[in-house]
Amino acid sequence: MKKLLALVLCLALVAALFVGCQEESKDTAAIKVGLICIGDENDQGYTYNFIRGKDAATKALKEKGINVEWVVKWNVPEGDACEDANIELAEAGCKVIFNNSFGFEPYMLKVAPNYPEIQFVACTNKASRTDDLENTHNAFAAIYEGRYLAGVVAGMKLQQLIDDGTITDEQAVIGYVGAFPFEEIKSGYTAYFLGAKSVCPSVTMKVQFVNDWSNATLESNAASALCDMGCKLISQHADNSTPATMAQSKGAYFTSYNNDMISVAPEACLVGTRIDWSVYFCEAIEAVANGKNFDQDWCKGLADGAVVLTELNKDIIAPGTEEKLAEVEKGLKDGSIQVFDTKTFTVGGQELTQAFALDTDGDFAPDKEEAVFNGAFHESYYQSAPYFGIDIDGIELLN
Amino acid sequence: MDEKTKTPLLRLAKRSSFPKPAAWAIRVGSILFALLLGCVAILLTGNSPFKAYATMINGALGSKVYLQQTVKKAVPLLGCALAIAPCFKMRFWNIGAEGQITAGALAATFVARTFTGKLPSLPLLLLMAAGAILGGGLWALIPAFFKAKWNTNETLFTLMMNYIIIGVVAWLQAGPWEAQQGRIAQFDASAQLPKVLGVHCGWIIVLVLVLLVHIYMRHTKQGYEIAVIGDSMRTAQYAGMNVGRIMMRTMFLSGAISGLVGFIIAAGANHTLAKEIAGGVGFTSITVAWLSQLNAFAMIAISMMLGILTKGADTLQTAMSVPAAISDIIIGLLLFCMLGCEFFINYRLILRKKTGKGGAAV
Repeated sequence: MKKLLALVLCLALVAALFVGCQEESKDTAAIKVGLICIGDENDQGYTYNFIRGKDAATKALKEKGINVEWVVKWNVPEGDACEDANIELAEAGCKVIFNNSFGFEPYMLKVAPNYPEIQFVACTNKASRTDDLENTHNAFAAIYEGRYLAGVVAGMKLQQLIDDGTITDEQAVIGYVGAFPFEEIKSGYTAYFLGAKSVCPSVTMKVQFVNDWSNATLESNAASALCDMGCKLISQHADNSTPATMAQSKGAYFTSYNNDMISVAPEACLVGTRIDWSVYFCEAIEAVANGKNFDQDWCKGLADGAVVLTELNKDIIAPGTEEKLAEVEKGLKDGSIQVFDTKTFTVGGQELTQAFALDTDGDFAPDKEEAVFNGAFHESYYQSAPYFGIDIDGIELLN
Repeated sequence: MDEKTKTPLLRLAKRSSFPKPAAWAIRVGSILFALLLGCVAILLTGNSPFKAYATMINGALGSKVYLQQTVKKAVPLLGCALAIAPCFKMRFWNIGAEGQITAGALAATFVARTFTGKLPSLPLLLLMAAGAILGGGLWALIPAFFKAKWNTNETLFTLMMNYIIIGVVAWLQAGPWEAQQGRIAQFDASAQLPKVLGVHCGWIIVLVLVLLVHIYMRHTKQGYEIAVIGDSMRTAQYAGMNVGRIMMRTMFLSGAISGLVGFIIAAGANHTLAKEIAGGVGFTSITVAWLSQLNAFAMIAISMMLGILTKGADTLQTAMSVPAAISDIIIGLLLFCMLGCEFFINYRLILRKKTGKGGAAV
């Protein structure tokens, strides 16, 4: 019994030793910014792209004299843990909190009304338009412009294969691994397809949905099946790099999303496109630091550097790609090229003359605001979240 | 027999009786020991351990909002530990609470989707709770039936049942019940549990449950039957108890309480159904039940302690930028030491000594 008591006292003593330890105080001049992520840098895709944006923004803001102290929550599931994360970051003194996943928004909206002085951002979602709150925001870049450009690179490559007799016109088929069948993905692959079609008129596309944002095996299997169906080039809208490696092993070409995948598939990956979130982070944080408002629904694209192409794989792209890209990029920036130009595609054999942009009654079908005018469907014009959900001719949905 | 040659270096002996203060000294000592081990983990990240622990406590209890979040985390743990207790008392290893929670949440969601707009809030919530009780109970009844009928292994059976029901929810949320982007729509306000003192009223429900489970286990014939089966199945049979029936009844009850917890999580915290809805509560609550030694009142303290730890760990991650894994390590160490110390309370280690004067009790 005495020994026992002695032991417990010893332990208590050692524990007490740590009381003396001190911690240096943090820089108080910095602005605290919260970021809630669905993954972490290990996905090498979606969340990794946000981290790159965060780091670049920190650097850029420092040059403007704004010190940012980030408070980041990793691997937060889309459930009430997200509500807790928002509360925690708000209580920690963050002035602006970014939620990086679509499904976070409903939980963010439970917290936002209780902290009217803090700005809450739900990236890629769209409730700020309808929630009657002053401090909620949405943001998404015009990624369809980047997809269109990547499509041009892909189309150039396919046309090269046709021209040198490797494949016939009919064999110019693109395979696309998509996450879910809704607007964000549909808008993306349609823009990509139209980019390819602008330089390779005979191209067609097959789309396979995996019904998951991040499932390396499913994505790989989908890419494999698409190659077996004769697709000569694979692209994707999901979070992993496995479609790239699968395309390479099947001898197909590839273009990536979110990240440069040349390192994992050097013989297949032509180029990639991604959102540069630092542009938005800088704008929002700078506004908050200066006590100003920033857009409740933010969308910028190629012209502002919010959408970028990753490095071209010069060893395998078709000759003349860089010149063509420069030309198309200029056209997109000055508006002379419209991605969803209604002259360039048909729906059920007809030219598209009418399509609504916004869903106002909550049934997930657009019912307001005409998106087709001046000869084009205007994507991300009424809200930042994509709303092009139309199935056009030339694209076959496999599931 | 020659003691000197036969005695191993270290041997164990069951303690016949052990003074209560000493037992508590061991328990407190084990917590201190775990905190010391945790210091190593924190030091590895280059932070001060004392500051880290202070941050954890402050993050869990330091303000009204923090306390509310801590309670919110403790509520499902307490509820589910209460659900598990009768099974474990019976030595029926139900590790399917995770699935039973999910089944309850699924049933509650079905009711919410069917009757929202047709019923006022209170009847709707009551109907959802009833659905959840039935859903969780029936889901638990399946392995109990097989155990009673064909003596199947309940540990594996209940575990496997988890994956099935989680798969069903995954299918529903990406299929028939999908609203957008693979998620089920949020419940209407009438199908959400109201808040009392800033936390959804699930905390009141589980506190009432504590009382009910305590009475059931200690002061009813059925509770006594459960205890007898737990102590000796043969005795129960000899006494003329229908063991199979009692097993099924107890498992239904256990599943029903888990199902109710599922309803509380779905209608109180998440406001929707998702395949991650149980979030490991069904497993963590096993620890709560064990640490409380199946005592319903002790579960309140233990689940609060776990709530404090998890909420504190969350804050630790944000306030000191330590990786989330460090917080998990500390929680793991604490639980390991606390569960492990019970061993030293029940047994004593005897070191071989030349004098043969007995051993040191550690």
